[in-house]
Amino acid sequence: MWDTLYYFIMVPMVYIAFATLVLGLLFKFAVVFFSPGIKGTLGTYPRRLPRMLGIIKDAFAVPTAFNKTKVFWFFIVVYHVAFVLLFIGHLELIREFKVLQIIPHRVFLGAGWVGIALIVSVLYFLFRRFRSPHNAISVPEDYLLLILLFLTLFFGSHMNLASRHLDFQFDLAKSREYLSALFTFKPANPSDIVSPYHNVMLALHVLFANLFMMLFPFSKMVHSVFAFCSLNLKRK
Amino acid sequence: MEKEKIQELRQLVKSRLNRPMRYYLDVCTRCGLCYDTCHAYYGIPKKEYSPVNRAEVVRKVYKKYFRPSGFAFPYWGDATKLDERVMDELKEAAFSCTGCRRCMMFCPFGVDMPHILSIAKLLLIGYGNAPEELIMLADSAVEKGKSIDSFKEGYREVIRDLETQVQERLKLPSSEDLIPMEKQNADVLYVGLSGAHSIVHPAVIFNAAKENWTLSYFEAVNFGMFAGDPEKMQFIANRIVKEATSLNVKEVVIVECGTAYRIPKFLLGPLPFKVTSIVEKIYRYIKDGKISIREGAIADALTYHDPCQLGRNGGVYDEPRYVLGALAKDYREMSPTREYNWCCGGGGGLVALDNEDFRVKTGKAKKDQITATGAKIVVSACENCILQLNTIKNGYGLDVEVKSLTELVSENLIV
Repeated sequence: MWDTLYYFIMVPMVYIAFATLVLGLLFKFAVVFFSPGIKGTLGTYPRRLPRMLGIIKDAFAVPTAFNKTKVFWFFIVVYHVAFVLLFIGHLELIREFKVLQIIPHRVFLGAGWVGIALIVSVLYFLFRRFRSPHNAISVPEDYLLLILLFLTLFFGSHMNLASRHLDFQFDLAKSREYLSALFTFKPANPSDIVSPYHNVMLALHVLFANLFMMLFPFSKMVHSVFAFCSLNLKRK
Repeated sequence: MEKEKIQELRQLVKSRLNRPMRYYLDVCTRCGLCYDTCHAYYGIPKKEYSPVNRAEVVRKVYKKYFRPSGFAFPYWGDATKLDERVMDELKEAAFSCTGCRRCMMFCPFGVDMPHILSIAKLLLIGYGNAPEELIMLADSAVEKGKSIDSFKEGYREVIRDLETQVQERLKLPSSEDLIPMEKQNADVLYVGLSGAHSIVHPAVIFNAAKENWTLSYFEAVNFGMFAGDPEKMQFIANRIVKEATSLNVKEVVIVECGTAYRIPKFLLGPLPFKVTSIVEKIYRYIKDGKISIREGAIADALTYHDPCQLGRNGGVYDEPRYVLGALAKDYREMSPTREYNWCCGGGGGLVALDNEDFRVKTGKAKKDQITATGAKIVVSACENCILQLNTIKNGYGLDVEVKSLTELVSENLIV
């Protein structure tokens, strides 16, 4: 029973999650693309930078948050930078990228601190929502997504830290074999990536990550894609 | 609410789901950075007056009828069915917002809250719950557009009276043609308001500058926009576009009215003529030496209130400051200023509604700003702002004089 469940989470569900993510985003783009545009412009002033530079600044430096509340800004930046590093780390789980090993490091980047930074940021975002006035404007989606993210990060980070500092066996070669096989649609047996005692932890990490990917296009997480479009309108 | 009505209202929401609206409805993370950025919230610190909450009232309806998750798992995003309570919430959200877009300056995604609230306004019209005053004023403007010929003679009579005022002010021998109308190939078509002051002062300035100009038969104000009716908004705006096109003018100069400026300048798309605010025009006249003003003529401390549609939404920041800097000996800037300047609370058609107590309370931010400058004269360049600044002045007993920029220039013109 467990073996079947484990295999389902590690193989078919990953495909379902990726398909939902990709098709969901394509659907979202199609809806937007086929929606009518507007004749005029919705921009605001002043515009001190050329449009593209301005959008990049607004999206990545988040000056609106910096001007309003520095602590929130700090966690926004930490969260997003760590998320990118984590994404790169997961790429290295698929196969070796020489360009990413310019500074030689053990997979993942950041010696475990990236995951910790993400967890702390997510907890900050979560607990912030329990405080007034943020509790008044939050909807269940806001809490549930953060909890889901926290769980994904918690199990992922735990495995990473345990493999570095404790007697937790994580086989990078097996991981690459498993993930590469997934990408070539010839799924391999995912049973030996971690020691059999820790399969539950890996399965939970992948389960929550799958759920997160499936929810991504249909939740506020699409801000990571559409933010550039709305910021473009502000400067158009 | 009956099913048929819900279906009808659903279609109205659908009609507003343009591309920007899709972005704005999807990207908000409810981060709360905009929460306290609205002047209404500053004056009445209730969740209902926070920009994010206003947008959420609309967003929850959108989720219910346009997102599968809203239909299948309404709990997930707090999706809400249309009913009487929601319609009341929509009304409070839509008509407590002036459309100033200050909240946009604090939004990390640049979400245009008033754009989202255009859905609320349209739903209120569909439900028959929109403010009657605005609907009547919009209808009246539409009617004037449809039967302008029957208004023309009466309007010319009024204008002839105003021409004598311009003549006295400029000390000219004749009042003839000081306010020209229906002048083909004029360089400028000036669009005023219904008040005489919105015509006399600009007419003085245009004549002093020897401008080849003509006056529009229409008022610039667009109550279709304030009411939230896109068809009426378009019709009311098109009256002026048609007039300008038929007269073959090069430039349309809009009276001191923020929304009246923003609509043709930014919301109608490309037009065959240039659109300018009277403030920009005055600035150019002074810069080009076409008119002269008494420099340093105003000794009292003076401050300037940026009309939101002219400043934040129109980019006209430096021109009024240049003019006032020349006129006043003691010009004082408000804090915060320019794009972060607080809205006075009179925009979005709110001054036309029976809500003076509300506007006094929501004008607190502006009152505090004015008081902090210590200025004795508050100048603005928008009719709605002037009316609201006077409401604030009277409501809080401020010892200040409220003046329009055009009036101030006209009074201090060297003729």
